[in-house]
Parts: sequence; structure tokens; C-alpha cells
Amino acid sequence: MRTLVTLAALALPLSAQAAETGDLVRFVSCPVYRDADSGKKSGCWLATDPGSGQRWDVSQSPYKPNWDFAVLVEGRVSAASADPCGAPVLEPVRTSILPDPCTRHMLPAEGYKGRKFVLPPRNIQPLSVARDTPPGPYAERVFTTYFEFDRDFLVYQYDDYIIDKAVTWVRAAKPKKLVVTGFAATEPETVTGQMLAERPEVARERAESIALTLRRLLPELPVETKWELAAKPTDDPDADTIPGQSQRRAEIRAIF
Amino acid sequence: MAAADRFRRSLPLAGAALALILAVGARGNAPDRWWSPGEGRVLPASLDYANDHGVLRTLVVGGPLKTRGHPFFEPLGANGRACVTCHQPADAMSLSARTAQERWDATGGMDPLFAAIDGSNCPILPQGDKASHSLLLERGLFRIQRPWPVRTFNGQPVAPDFTIEIVRDPNGCNSAPGYGPNAGNVSVYRRVRPVANMKYLLAVGFAFDPKQGYALPLDPDDGKPQSGNLMADNRAGNLRLQMEDASSVHLEFARALTPAQIKRIQDFELSIYTAQQSSPAAGGGLDTMGATGGPAKLRDSQPGALGSIGTPVWSEFAAWDKISPEDAAKLTPQKLAFRQSVARGARVFRDKTFLITDSAGINSRMGFGNPVRNSCVFCHNMTQMGNDVAPGQVDLGTTTQPFADPWDDLPLFRITCLGQPHPHYGKVILTYDPGFALTSGKCADVGKITLQSMRGLAARAPYFSNGLARDLRGVVDYYERRYNIGYTEQEKQDLVNLMSVL
Repeated sequence: MRTLVTLAALALPLSAQAAETGDLVRFVSCPVYRDADSGKKSGCWLATDPGSGQRWDVSQSPYKPNWDFAVLVEGRVSAASADPCGAPVLEPVRTSILPDPCTRHMLPAEGYKGRKFVLPPRNIQPLSVARDTPPGPYAERVFTTYFEFDRDFLVYQYDDYIIDKAVTWVRAAKPKKLVVTGFAATEPETVTGQMLAERPEVARERAESIALTLRRLLPELPVETKWELAAKPTDDPDADTIPGQSQRRAEIRAIF
Repeated sequence: MAAADRFRRSLPLAGAALALILAVGARGNAPDRWWSPGEGRVLPASLDYANDHGVLRTLVVGGPLKTRGHPFFEPLGANGRACVTCHQPADAMSLSARTAQERWDATGGMDPLFAAIDGSNCPILPQGDKASHSLLLERGLFRIQRPWPVRTFNGQPVAPDFTIEIVRDPNGCNSAPGYGPNAGNVSVYRRVRPVANMKYLLAVGFAFDPKQGYALPLDPDDGKPQSGNLMADNRAGNLRLQMEDASSVHLEFARALTPAQIKRIQDFELSIYTAQQSSPAAGGGLDTMGATGGPAKLRDSQPGALGSIGTPVWSEFAAWDKISPEDAAKLTPQKLAFRQSVARGARVFRDKTFLITDSAGINSRMGFGNPVRNSCVFCHNMTQMGNDVAPGQVDLGTTTQPFADPWDDLPLFRITCLGQPHPHYGKVILTYDPGFALTSGKCADVGKITLQSMRGLAARAPYFSNGLARDLRGVVDYYERRYNIGYTEQEKQDLVNLMSVL
């Protein structure tokens, strides 16, 4: 997987200048929950960039905030309407929970409806639904899973979808073994005046977490683990153009 | 106690009595409610027992079953108990506190049910005193002694990431000589989980446990994914492990179950279905006027379906939303209203959303966020059963401060997280039962208790793992104060009526 200079350039945070569609926004702040009610999972998550003072709708993250803790927001400015939650939208977007405590705050709906829940595109079928056999020919291939900042927890309706695809392919391709490499973004970066770097140990934790899952899903196949620090961004589509997300990954390499 | 006396005791209303006499009387006299170990009765293919809300029916696939010599029904261990002692057909294969009280009254406390090992608050207490069995008699609680430190989970060694100290030990089983963390064990107190409708509790819908962030663990016996829905603390992932645990502890069986015994018990547990069958308040069968309540539907359906993408949870009673004028004319206004209330209750259960907060297993570590707006069916999501399709380890706060009600008669533990603090409780936690954390060894799992089936609730009060809700209204009231839901009085009654017919 190659590293893109262009993505690195896009990773430069916006500060006070006006954000345009597609711009990358990255900041740390306390999340605010807006109690919009269009049914299940319809509430809004808002977060204000302390650098620009701009409040964003960050509700579309696959891993959502905890109102007791700060979040690292990484997202791209969307052209979508601000109507659902009362703030311009970041999408794609990620909201990683950080250990810094926040005062929990909830806004009433104030006429905003939120979004009626729809299944995200990355959702898995029940086991009772047969998977289509991926076509050959089969050769060495990498599947990549992604994580919240400094965590190794398999993300629901994101990583499970990717692993389900990987396992379906592996069952058809029958490689000799799998090698899982965990990565950690250990190079410090300053975000909203705060130095952020992932723990070096999380690279190994990610590798072992994914390896455990693969050993359960593919018990006959050897699974080895490796880990690397100072992860660089990649252009893998499943990172949804978020450079920070692409760094926080574990790669599953099928070896023949 | 004679069957007739028991029957009269269970019918507070004259109208209800008439309906139940019709329901049970049609099958002849109900057999004695209490199934004693080794008595050798034949378990019929269909067996009805009355309770406060109507009649519970138990079906045995392939029945009738001769219980003479059957390891589920025979006393295997030293204390004279059998599996059936705590898994009674009249109590939906669980055991209600009322039944425990009646056994005390009938036997002067001499029934094996009250064995010192776990049928008393602690074996060190004077066993002849009723007060020594208060937790079982008043809240249906048995003592569960878990090893400390936690040693293994899913076959893997565990080093707990928390310490445990005793704040209060009213019964002595966490501080007396030989008891408590310093002696290598922790005692908590829990309700009996029903042994019925097991194909649903064993069903696996998806390959992952999203609450733990891994693929499901594999069954050591057959290599298939485990549902994680059997035990309150998920300490046994299949029926063999569960029955081996139960026979050695609760039955004080000194030897190992033989493969033949294990197979017979497992075959029986997979053959038994139970659910409420009729309701005097509804004017008869729960499978009439378009409804499909009762255990036959459970027996005949495929398990493990997620209600949100298939048959909605509790849609068994959807037809009662639109009872035809012809059918309505056959009911009294009260019975028609009850049926409509049940149908409304099912909709409230599915559709009334509220903010779920600070509940590990929902608000953490999964990415749903804290808070998240959803309804009862968010977790109670399996069609026909209301348990969780995914492993159901969730912390509702029923056992842990500040959400748990004060219980002076339960031990209180102080948990200190050694690594990351708990995502909602912080570094130090006060709990009556650490729940799943006593299996996983993770501070983040303190207070998580596995969701269970909602079938046969009418027959097995009290509710929640520590019996905090004395009746069905108590269940609704707990959720109301825990999550500040804002149920109307009508909605509360609709939910109670729904639960009374499951």
C-alpha cells in the first residue's frame, strides 16, 4: 500500500480560514449531544472546532462520542445540508474518544429532526445468509481493518464488515497462512494545541485483537502477528479519505 | 401442598379463577406443582400450571418423558437435589421466590432446596433458622461462589485488571474463614435462569460479539461459535459446561457426569419449551383471535432471528391491535381492552425510544455513543424470545451503584480498576455483583449481566439477576427510574400486560 503525498498535504488542519467542501478538519473538543428524535439512533453529535469556532455535525462517525470525554474529530467538510442537526456536516468523519474529561451537555432538539436510522453500507449479513464465493484467481492480498485513536477495539459495522469479506475470500482462496500487522500512529502531532500520539503498545494490541478474531473464524489456518510503529497514511478506500484513520490500522495479509 | 390448595392460592380474582378452571380443568386435574427429585413421575408432552396471570404451558418434544432414572430428575449428589429442584415446570423451568417460600412452609425448611451450600445466605449461618435463607425465600437468590482471582475465560488465562475489596458482608460468605477474596473466592447472589426454549439461547445470529470486539469464541466440544447467552456472567458457554458446573456446585455431586448423563440432560433441555398459554384477563388462549402466543410457536420456529430485519419482536400479538367487530363482540369490554393493551405494549416495547446512558455493553465499548436513543428492543432483539441475538452482557445498573437500589442484605464490593478506568463508573466502583467481570477479569465488564429470555415471566418472579423487581410492574418501574423514560401510566400498564402473556 503506498503513501500519498497528496493525502499528507490534505492532512494539514484548517484553522481560521473558511472550510470548503472536501477540506479536512481535525480538532479536539468536548462533544455535545442534541436530543433530536426521529426514532432509533437518530440523535445528533455536535463538536466545535476551538481553532475556528465552527460547530460541526459529526454524527456520521462509525464510532460515536461519549459525552463525558473529549473527542478527536477528523472529517471532511460535506456539502450536505445542515438541516438534520443544525450544524454543517463532516462526512466522512471519525470521532475518537480521548481520556480528557468533559462536562456532559445535551441540547434539546430545537426543531432539528436528526437523521432517521438507516443501516450503514458496511453491515454484515446474518450467518444464515450464504456468502457469494469471490472469483479467482487468488494471489497474495491484503485486507485492512481500522480503529479508533489509541484503541484496539473491533469497530461494529466497520471492521466486522471488512473481516467478513476477508474471511469469505480466504475460505475460497485457501492461503497457506495469514500475517496480521498492527500499526500505531506513534509520531506526535499537535492538534488543537494538544500533543497527540498513540501508545506504541496499541500496534501489538491491534495485531493480537484481529489475530484472535481470525483464529476463531478460521481455526484451521495459521495466523502470525507483527507490529509497526510510526504508521504513515495510506489511500485505502476503506479509510474513507481520512489520513489519521488510515494510520490506525491492522493489515491482514494472505500468504500462499 | 395439595394441588387444589396451590390452585386456589394462585387465583386472586374470581373471574380469573373461572377462566383458569376452564383452562386447566379441560386437561384434568393439574398434577402437583412441585417436582421432587427421584419421585419418578412421567412428564407429559404438554403440561399446564396456573399462575397469577393465567396458565403456563410446558411442551416436551418427543414426550411424555419417564423421569425415573433420568439424570435431570434424579438426585445425583450428596444434598438430595436434582436439576429439577431449581428448574421447576410450574415456574417456567426456573424457580420463583413464592415456590421457595411454599417449600419452606411445606417441609419446615428440610427440603434439599435449602441446602447450606447455596440455598442459604451462607453455610456458616445456623441452617435451621429461616432468616439464614432469607435471600432465597424473599428474592429467590442462590449463592454463587466464583474463584478469585479470575483464572480462565474461554480457555485463556486471565489476569484481572481490577482489585476487589469487601465493603460490607452481611452474611459472612465474603469474609468468614474460607470465604472471600483472601480465601480465593467471591460470593454473589443470583436468580435461577430458566432451562427451556434453549435453542433460542444457543442460537448464533452473527459471527461477532460486538460488545467485546472479537469474533465469537468457539465451543470446545463442536468448534462452532458460542452464543454467550446461557449464564448471567457467561461463565459457561455450552450446556455441558453449564451442567458440569451446576452438578458439582449446586448438587454437590462429587463425581463427573458421565457422557451418557450429559447427553440425556442435554437432549431433555433441548426438547422443552415453555411460555404463557392463556390469560383470564384476555378471556382465554393467547393463540386466539390471530395471536400466536404460547410455546407451540416457539417449538416450531427457527431461532436466532433479529427482529429488526425480520419478524418484529412480540408481533405475536399484533393481530390484537385490530380485533374484528365479530371477535370483539365475543369478549367483555375488559377482556377486549386487555388484548388491545397487550398489542400496544408490544409497540411500546419496540417503538418508545428513550436515552440509554452509561450502560456498558451499549454505550461502551461499542460505538453507539453515550447516550444513544433507542427502545427496549435495542437489546431485547431476538424474535419470539426477547433475548439478545449477540451475546447479551449489558450493565443496566441493577447490581452496581449509583443505579442499583440499596440492599443491606447483599455483600457490597469495592472494585478498583488497575488500568483504564471504567468508561462510566470511573476508577472505583461499588457493586453487589461484578457480573461478567468475574468471568472476563475486565474492569470494563463490572456490572454486566447477560440478558435472558423473556418467556414465562408470569411464572417466575422476582426479576433481574438479583431479584430487585418483585413483580412485572417493578421491572417497568426500574427502567423508568434508571433511564428517565417518561412512560405514561397507560404505557406502563401496557408493558406489564405484555410481559404477563409471554
